[in-house]
Amino acid sequence: MRAYLLSIFLLLMVGFSLATTLEPWFQSWAGSRAQSENVLQVALGDSRRMFARHFFTKADAYFHNGYYPSIYDSKEGEKQERSAVKGAHEHEGHSAEECEESYLGAPKDWIDRFSRHFFASQHTHLGESDCGHDCCKKSKEGKGHDETCEHKGHEAGHHHDQEDGHDHAEAAKAGQEREILPWLRLSAEMDPQRVESYVIAAFWLRSKLGKVDEAEQFLREGLRANPGDCEIQYALGVICYEDRKDIVRARNLLELSMNRWREQESRKPEPNILLLGQILNQLAKLEREQKNYPRALECYTLLKQISPNKEAVQNWIDEMKTNLPPSAVASPR
Amino acid sequence: MTPATHSLDPARLPEIAAGTDRSGTLNNVLAIAGIVIKEMYRRKDFYVLFVLTALITLLMGSVTFFNQENIVRYLKEICLFLIWAASLVITITTAARQIPAEREQRTLFPLLAKPVTRNQLVIGKFLGCWFASGISLLLFYLFFGAVAGAKEHEWPVLNYFQAAVLHWFMLGIVCALTMLGSVVFDAPSSTNTIMLIVSVGILLVGRHLNKVALKMEEPGQTIVYAIYFVLPHLELFDVRDLIVHNWGLIPWHIWAAGLAYAAVYSAIFLALACLMFRRKAIN
Repeated sequence: MRAYLLSIFLLLMVGFSLATTLEPWFQSWAGSRAQSENVLQVALGDSRRMFARHFFTKADAYFHNGYYPSIYDSKEGEKQERSAVKGAHEHEGHSAEECEESYLGAPKDWIDRFSRHFFASQHTHLGESDCGHDCCKKSKEGKGHDETCEHKGHEAGHHHDQEDGHDHAEAAKAGQEREILPWLRLSAEMDPQRVESYVIAAFWLRSKLGKVDEAEQFLREGLRANPGDCEIQYALGVICYEDRKDIVRARNLLELSMNRWREQESRKPEPNILLLGQILNQLAKLEREQKNYPRALECYTLLKQISPNKEAVQNWIDEMKTNLPPSAVASPR
Repeated sequence: MTPATHSLDPARLPEIAAGTDRSGTLNNVLAIAGIVIKEMYRRKDFYVLFVLTALITLLMGSVTFFNQENIVRYLKEICLFLIWAASLVITITTAARQIPAEREQRTLFPLLAKPVTRNQLVIGKFLGCWFASGISLLLFYLFFGAVAGAKEHEWPVLNYFQAAVLHWFMLGIVCALTMLGSVVFDAPSSTNTIMLIVSVGILLVGRHLNKVALKMEEPGQTIVYAIYFVLPHLELFDVRDLIVHNWGLIPWHIWAAGLAYAAVYSAIFLALACLMFRRKAIN
């Protein structure tokens, strides 16, 4: 009995000694999660990025009303299907173009065909007031349905027959984009370095839901997590310009975002040219409105270099030059 | 000399004649089913899962995002996911323990001596489990409807009805498959584990097996495609996306065909369970 007690006592002493040795080392260890104040960081480690990506994808799936490809729906498979799809769908009220948008392609077998009634199998977007049928879109443009078209009458925005599988009036409700917000918020919580979560959430908040304060607050939260990020600065600049009408701050933010873009993106092998185009376009618009034509011309000239639609940009430049007094074009900024 | 005792082959045992007339059969089956339903009332499984589902849903519902009211789809998705998980657990665990429990508690012998035939016992147990899961599903969907309606201010009752009935028929397939599993495997724990893996596996990849098959070389392609056609497509009955994203009703004839598909598979698994139970030595 005494030997047992002594053994236990000895083990306790060894354990205590090891703890006193290891604890200081653990506290100074660079890989210790205990240093983080974020509970998610402690609990999930780097796997939270994976969850963040999942939630971001979830938001995208919600934007498409649940119509979203799985990992099994590859692009190659989709292309292979297209030729078969063209002929097969034209008799079903869909055009070849409409079917080409579908990742599903033509049904591969009867189970596949049957199962499409039980999940979201049509391409629609949140807040859209149409059903996704190509013929209905054309009809709205005034081209009308064929007499034999089974979707005739959809363009009026009425409730479909119960067999039809979708509901115009429901989709036509305003502000349905709100449904993607929880997933974007979660994505940002899981991975604060995922800039898209902030920018996309802010875009829908201000443009469709009229929540400018919340959008700005969320973007500032993103800027704290990603100091000096040019995409977030651009989004803040747009809010200042379009919603707050604070021209000075908007100009500063847009100029800052362009400088940051040059620092951050220009060194990358595949820089985000689209973002630079957006910054230049927004800046040119602002300067044109403020009658700072030389700077506006400068921005349009830069935009022309990167734009795929050079002719349109040149037209804007020409239009500006012809409508300006000669002194405005010649004077430096 | 020939020994006095003979080994009894259960397959050659004569079926007891009693209870074979139609009303007697129905009475026996319903009596057994009634016992299973009463058992569900007494056990805590359902109550625990229901309270858990309700708590998580209400907790998630209390969260506000960006001061925006009426965000409801994420809540519907979470609630439906919990309902699906809970219903699968309830159905599989209930169905898996029925026959092994009767055997372990030695109540199977007096039950079969009532007399109740083996087929009646299996069918009665199946119906009991299926009805029990239906009752639990009804309560779950009532809760879901109340939560979604409170947030969304809409009651698409027919859509919920379609989804709930499809869900219930899917549980019928799972229930019959689990009854078959409980006859094949001895321990309920192994039946539970295998059936949960099989059901979740079918729900996750069943729809995509054909795409996987088409990317494979022969003979793998034929084998996987054959599995795709043979296995019960439980994922057909998972219409959560249609409910969450407010899609319209499924055409009624397609919906009815889905139910018929479930009925056929349930009957196949139940017939196999009956056949195997008749041949199984119960002592």
